[in-house]
Amino acid sequence: MSERETVLKISHLNKRYQDEGNPSGNILEDFNLEVKRNEFLCILGPSGCGKTTLLRCIAGFEEFEGEVSIEGKAKTEPDTDRIMVFQDFNQLFPWKTVEKNIQYPLKQQGVQDKQTLQRITAEYLEKVNLPGIEKKYPHQLSGGMKQRVAIAKALALKPKIILMDEPFAALDAMTRNRLQAELISISADEDCTFIFITHNIQEAIVLGSRVILMSKNGKIKIEEQNTIARPVTPASEGYARMWTRLHDALEE
Amino acid sequence: MNRSKERLHSILSQILFVVLVGACWETVAKLKVFGTKSDLIFPPLEAIGRAFVTNIFNLGAGTSFWVYIYNSMRLLLIGLVIGIGLSFVFTGLSMISRTFYYIYNLVVSIFDLLPGVALLPVVIIIFGIKPAVIVFLIAHSVIWPMSRNILDGFLAVPVIYVEAGKNIGLKGVRLLTGVYIPATASYVISGLKVSWARAWRGLISAEMIFGIAASPGIGFYINQMRTNLKNAEMYATLIVIVLIGVIVQYGIFAPIEKYTVKRWGMSK
Ligand SMILES: Nc1ncnc2c1ncn2[C@@H]1O[C@H](COP(=O)(O)OP(=O)(O)OP(=O)(O)O)[C@@H](O)[C@H]1O
Ligand SMILES: [Mg+2]
Repeated sequence: MSERETVLKISHLNKRYQDEGNPSGNILEDFNLEVKRNEFLCILGPSGCGKTTLLRCIAGFEEFEGEVSIEGKAKTEPDTDRIMVFQDFNQLFPWKTVEKNIQYPLKQQGVQDKQTLQRITAEYLEKVNLPGIEKKYPHQLSGGMKQRVAIAKALALKPKIILMDEPFAALDAMTRNRLQAELISISADEDCTFIFITHNIQEAIVLGSRVILMSKNGKIKIEEQNTIARPVTPASEGYARMWTRLHDALEE
Repeated sequence: MNRSKERLHSILSQILFVVLVGACWETVAKLKVFGTKSDLIFPPLEAIGRAFVTNIFNLGAGTSFWVYIYNSMRLLLIGLVIGIGLSFVFTGLSMISRTFYYIYNLVVSIFDLLPGVALLPVVIIIFGIKPAVIVFLIAHSVIWPMSRNILDGFLAVPVIYVEAGKNIGLKGVRLLTGVYIPATASYVISGLKVSWARAWRGLISAEMIFGIAASPGIGFYINQMRTNLKNAEMYATLIVIVLIGVIVQYGIFAPIEKYTVKRWGMSK
């Protein structure tokens, strides 16, 4: 398992925001992380500890000091090898149908054949359990459906990494559980690495193949492989202990 | 149930109002309340109606009424296209260059306050009494409100769309056409409405101030009718002007909105 290649390597990452010449302190300080191919990394941490900031640096939306490299190549700009799924439901382009939202990035990548585009669209909508909604506009979908389409859109691009910033946080518990289950089976099928931020300990344990817990300045307080047998439920052997460990560390 | 009742209420009260105004008009006209001037100020409705029909069905002698309309609409369209085209080019450049943005912002703020007609003396010196003057005035009345709207719209584009666009590899002009412009649709449409209203008013005013022999338009026609004391014709033409406005509103703007911002759930 540990022989897998490294997809993402972050070394000596420092990040501070420059607001009107009034620089903040270091939000992330000498942050280091390696993520292996096909890992599902969940990141927990108290509000304001820099989780979103970290993800935005990885995505290339922020300037930073240090190095973020994908398969050995340093990256500073956004690109299709790392696709972000935002927490905000309104991340799809409202002026495009679901189908066009999924196909537009593919066309930008040079996929022009109509049948191929349609096949890919249908395939990924099927994966997120939303077959047949190609012609709908985003405003006609529920929040959960929008997030599923955003995931389908990201998957269809076959990125190396999908970055998810609390994508399910604003959903009700039932929808959330269903989307978690879908994401588990998707991540098992796809050759893709996931970095998933959440506030929810249960979510981190259920989804993550590895869980890290950040504290102030992006210090990594806990980092552990999730060895609980899948599928993980609260009744699983080891779940309660892991939950307590993470919970206590978060409370401190 | 309630909504259809409300609709009926609004339609009935509006019809009642129009009928009442018509009746008052006719009474004043028939009683010649304004003495000898009465036929000029309040020509009887039948005279206006007759003039309207004569104009529309081209029954009168001389240049057809439609020629005036055609001339006006042609210049209007040319001016609109130039004005709208330039506002996209300049606002696009403003998004690409910060310096250009600051300067253009100032230029828009200044010229937006300047009525086109006030520029007429200078413009006539430049172009002579030619259709180009009208086109210039129309383009002038379109470009500033349009630019202002597009600039406001660009600034209001949600960051998330821009980031989603960058994430899928859009940059420069492709980011502009792929994200900024569609995301600004509702601003563009309200800019179009303001621009059209200003252009239409500007056109009629300019044509009334000076007629261009090569291309006489509706404003020129109104002025001619006034000089010839044919006030029923003049009123008939005012009705046509209002009708054209209604046609543009319901025949052009309403469908544009229906197939864009309304369909996308983006109308403000
Ligand atoms: N654009 C910005 N300008 C200045 N400071 C910022 C900016 N964005 C975030 N910060 C600051 O950086 C710190 C980390 O913010 P960040 O959004 O990364 O936290 P987070 O861990 O994602 O929190 P949450 O769990 O609430 O989403 C916070 O103190 C925040 O105030
Ligand atoms: Mg956050």
